[in-house]
Amino acid sequence: MLKRLLLVRGAEIALFALLAALPLWVQSSYALGLLTLLAIYGILLIGLDVTVGYLGQVNLAQAAFLGLGAYVAGIGATRFGLGIPATLLLSCGFTTLVGALLALPALRLDGPQFALATLSFTALCSTALNEMEWLTNGAQGLSITRPPLLGHLLTPRDFFWVCLALLALTWVMMRNLLSSQWGRAFEALRDSPIATDAMGVGTYRHKVAAFAFGSGLGGIAGALYAFNFQYLQPQSYVYELTVVLLLGVVLGGRKSLWGAVVGAALVALLPNLLSNPVLFRAFAVIGFAMAAIAAVRGLVRRSTRPFQALAPVVATGALVLGSFLQKNTEDWRKAIFALMLFSVVVGLPEGLMGFAAGALARLFRVAPPPLPPAASLDEVLPARATTGEPLLEVRALHRHFGGVKAVDGVDLTVRAGTIHGLIGPNGSGKSTLVNVVSGLYTPTSGELLLRGLPLPRGSLLQASRAGVARTFQNLQLFTGMTTLENVMVALRGAYRLPLPLVLAGFGRPEERRAQAEALALLALVGLEAEARTPVMDLTYGAQRFLEMARALARKPELLILDEPAAGLAHPDVVRQVEVIRRIHARGVTIVLIEHHMDVVTSLCDVVTVLDGGRVIAEGPPDQVKREPRVIAAYLGATAAEPDGPGPVAGAPAAG
Amino acid sequence: MPFSIVAQIAVSGALMGLVYALVAYGFQLTYATSKSINFGQGELVMVSAFVSLSLIDLGLPYWAVVPLGLLFGALLGLAVERAAVRLALEQKSEGWILLTIITGLFLFSAAENVWGRDDRPFPTPIPSAPIHLLGVDVTGLEISVAVGVLAVMGLVELFKRRTLLGKAFEAVSADRDAGELMGISATRTVMLSYALSGGVAALAGILVSPITTVGPTMASAMILKAFSVAVVAGLESGFGVVVVGLFLGALEGLASLYIGSGWREAPGLALLILALAVRPTGVFGKAVIRKV
Amino acid sequence: MLIVTNLHAGYGLSEVLEGASLNVKAGTVVALIGANGAGKTTTMRAISGLITPTRGEVLLDGKPVQGLGAAKVARLGLAHSPEGRKVFAPLSAEDNLLLGAFPWLPRFFGFRKKAAPDLERVYGLFPKLAERRLQLAGTLSGGEQQMLAIGRALMARPKVMLLDEPSMGLAPVIVQEVFRTIERLKAEGMTMLLVEQFARAALEVADYAYVMERGRIAVEGTPAELSRDERVLAAYLG
Repeated sequence: MLKRLLLVRGAEIALFALLAALPLWVQSSYALGLLTLLAIYGILLIGLDVTVGYLGQVNLAQAAFLGLGAYVAGIGATRFGLGIPATLLLSCGFTTLVGALLALPALRLDGPQFALATLSFTALCSTALNEMEWLTNGAQGLSITRPPLLGHLLTPRDFFWVCLALLALTWVMMRNLLSSQWGRAFEALRDSPIATDAMGVGTYRHKVAAFAFGSGLGGIAGALYAFNFQYLQPQSYVYELTVVLLLGVVLGGRKSLWGAVVGAALVALLPNLLSNPVLFRAFAVIGFAMAAIAAVRGLVRRSTRPFQALAPVVATGALVLGSFLQKNTEDWRKAIFALMLFSVVVGLPEGLMGFAAGALARLFRVAPPPLPPAASLDEVLPARATTGEPLLEVRALHRHFGGVKAVDGVDLTVRAGTIHGLIGPNGSGKSTLVNVVSGLYTPTSGELLLRGLPLPRGSLLQASRAGVARTFQNLQLFTGMTTLENVMVALRGAYRLPLPLVLAGFGRPEERRAQAEALALLALVGLEAEARTPVMDLTYGAQRFLEMARALARKPELLILDEPAAGLAHPDVVRQVEVIRRIHARGVTIVLIEHHMDVVTSLCDVVTVLDGGRVIAEGPPDQVKREPRVIAAYLGATAAEPDGPGPVAGAPAAG
Repeated sequence: MPFSIVAQIAVSGALMGLVYALVAYGFQLTYATSKSINFGQGELVMVSAFVSLSLIDLGLPYWAVVPLGLLFGALLGLAVERAAVRLALEQKSEGWILLTIITGLFLFSAAENVWGRDDRPFPTPIPSAPIHLLGVDVTGLEISVAVGVLAVMGLVELFKRRTLLGKAFEAVSADRDAGELMGISATRTVMLSYALSGGVAALAGILVSPITTVGPTMASAMILKAFSVAVVAGLESGFGVVVVGLFLGALEGLASLYIGSGWREAPGLALLILALAVRPTGVFGKAVIRKV
Repeated sequence: MLIVTNLHAGYGLSEVLEGASLNVKAGTVVALIGANGAGKTTTMRAISGLITPTRGEVLLDGKPVQGLGAAKVARLGLAHSPEGRKVFAPLSAEDNLLLGAFPWLPRFFGFRKKAAPDLERVYGLFPKLAERRLQLAGTLSGGEQQMLAIGRALMARPKVMLLDEPSMGLAPVIVQEVFRTIERLKAEGMTMLLVEQFARAALEVADYAYVMERGRIAVEGTPAELSRDERVLAAYLG
């Protein structure tokens, strides 16, 4: 614990102390300007990293938010005589709002479309700043005088300290945010947006909030930028700057506060680097040497593909040649950016800090803080009385896909406290039915009631909040997290603290309680020993059990298990039946889709058989298994006998 | 304002819109095989136009320059695929977005330094005298644009729908691994699509240059509008880009007429963001059924 | 026909296969069984070239094919029907089958005519597919998609077929049909390597079988021999 504090926090404090002390030695106004720019870019890049790193989307709008923030601050100060605190708040508020408005449509997309939408936004902003001359002075530019702060006229050194303080504040808030449920939600929605929604964590609203937050930081940076340069021009906030900012994030390392600040330092220094031929030559040669060493190592160990090893060597080689042959490096500035960025993206995709963090983690092993003892299961998942009254009622449900009637008029009543089996041939509509109930699909027509109340339609999130939890036929775990974190994401009612308090760092007690609750659920499915194991390292069987624990974290009334035994080997199937019994004993009503007939027979109170989107039989398992229609449509010749061939029920008749 | 002028501007705008449609079609081609697009496509248009212009300066006749320009565009497309796309696709990452932006930036800078920053005229044997058609004047150049765009798009669509190799395009896009198991080399299919896309970009450059002149920034505005067209129409429908391209081109002409030429790009960009809000997969895109 | 020697392969830094060797003789059906994560699917993927083996040799009809890449291996006569079926969802059933014959069909025109006899054969084997020839593969039921995946592999006129979990997630009545199809192909002399979760069913159709554990072959033998092995009986045959 102490070691952790010393190493991690110590490094952060050392960084800021060093930055704050630098102006005491360095007197040149030129160097001070660079330091100020570093602090401003630091805030800007931390904001950009929210979308680029944590949401994993290429965001080309951050330059626009810098520009918007700068103009809002500039206009506020010159036209309305606002002071620094007021303009900062105004810039931040305005860009947060615009960010949210842009994110509402744009974040319904991902990948290239999102990049295109943000790129268009940047172009639109640049047009608007240019053309709205009555407000922005258009292409002539806007001059600003830096207003005093609380009555003090700020010297450049004071202003640097203001910027640095804001960077430190941003850093701390961001760290608190990322170590809370918010950080886990970001991680989760990149791994599986569907599961994130199904676990009651709104994918879309988290994405929009994250983007707006990042944009707001862009606005703060913009305001500081305006007061730093005291002259604004619309051309400064265009495509090229956006690319340079991306360069900073990628070069520094995504998903890392350190990375953002290192990236900011590089971006701030870059133009000076290019204008000094000697410096640029030295830099190019160092880059080339590093790329060459990395290439040789990668090729010898066969850890990188040939292209990945050689392309950066070629690109940095071109830089070296260029640096000696070309006099006017200024003219080739963009090409030089391009070559540098290319080398980094290809050769060092994790960025400098990603690379360094890996090495540091190997050097200093810092153990995570110990976990609290598991909470009592009665607290986490109080046993419900099982009444037998209707819990889920499905009436005349239809779901069509084009001409295909996947569910074609299904009536179904699931009684509280039962395990209700759902069987039928492939394409009979079982999965579509539970996908409609759990909110993945909107029903074409029909009624869905939970405890007599209409169930939200067509929203995984709303259905999950109404008390329906589910597992997935094809596993939808959050693969970038540990077992425990997977359950914590889904925990219902564990996180109540409002965002400002989370940002201020008051989230820790809540986290501990959530860990304790999640541990109790892991114990229920027999995974308590794997709490810290990354999901990727779990066996396939354990992953199936984890999905159950995660669904239970929703504390559901109705639990839908979609083929939980698919692909499981015999011993795991036996264990799973055991776990489902334990869950059922807590009074959770279960809908079970399964092809293993002996699992269905031993667990279910009632079985509904679907075929062609309609119900063809319903009743206790033994009765249903004898019905000729079920045998013809589903079971086939041999498995109808009560003592079918064990877990391989459904194996073909010999010959 | 008299209706004839409005109509004239709308028609001229719409014909320019076909060029956006052609560039957007280039996005669709690569998207169809690899779900990736070249963010530096505008630089492909511009560099191909410059190379064609240099060939004309060397004394080659226009009709010999056209195929050479297309070939050069295809080669450039292949280069982009090799440098910026293949590795990211193999790693199943979205690194290609950044890398294609970077190659575009590099090409832009290179063009600035090789050919200079000035705009230069592009000579063409196609007459620029206006022809009076249904109440509006259309120049031969504009007609050549329309014919060239529609003919090439028609040919490529025919290839995609009627040949086995065209079906392989869709197979690779649907499931790269399964395509490989059928003996379809995913890498070569993606290469072919980038070559086609580069050729289409070069054609756009050659067709539009006589109207707009050739310069490093000739495609910067065009590419934004091509993006708009591609996203509004969806990245799947060739028919969609033509319709949206015509519409957007006309809208742009009218916007510069009524709001001012500085704002001419604004409606397209706003339309893009709005269209996304209403239909994220594009107006002509297929709705995606989420599967679990 | 297919000889695999000391195959090593994995994903990233983790090695899943640690020296698997197996031999599929012409005209036989060989079953590969084992627990989840034992490396069955990885073996299949390494044989067909979807992943590059780090060590070892794969001989297809006497020719080494390891490291050639899946497309080349497919053109040399190996058809792999992958786990999870992987039909081309946005294409029609018939287009899926035509693409199965990609290695030997003309690339541009006249491919339909040339493929007609093979299409007839597949439709004869799976009459359901003939009914749905123009339906998009993504809208077919799981059972039909499995038929399509097998049919698509047959269209390649392969020397060897790899079938990875053809029964996964299918209703009992469809599983029986899948196994009847495998029996029928075996009777026609097709060479097959079959990975199956339903070990007992797989052993009924196979001539020889391998049991995998943690990336290696743990036990091998004829189905009769394996059914007598206490350990195999307990762990895999329930």
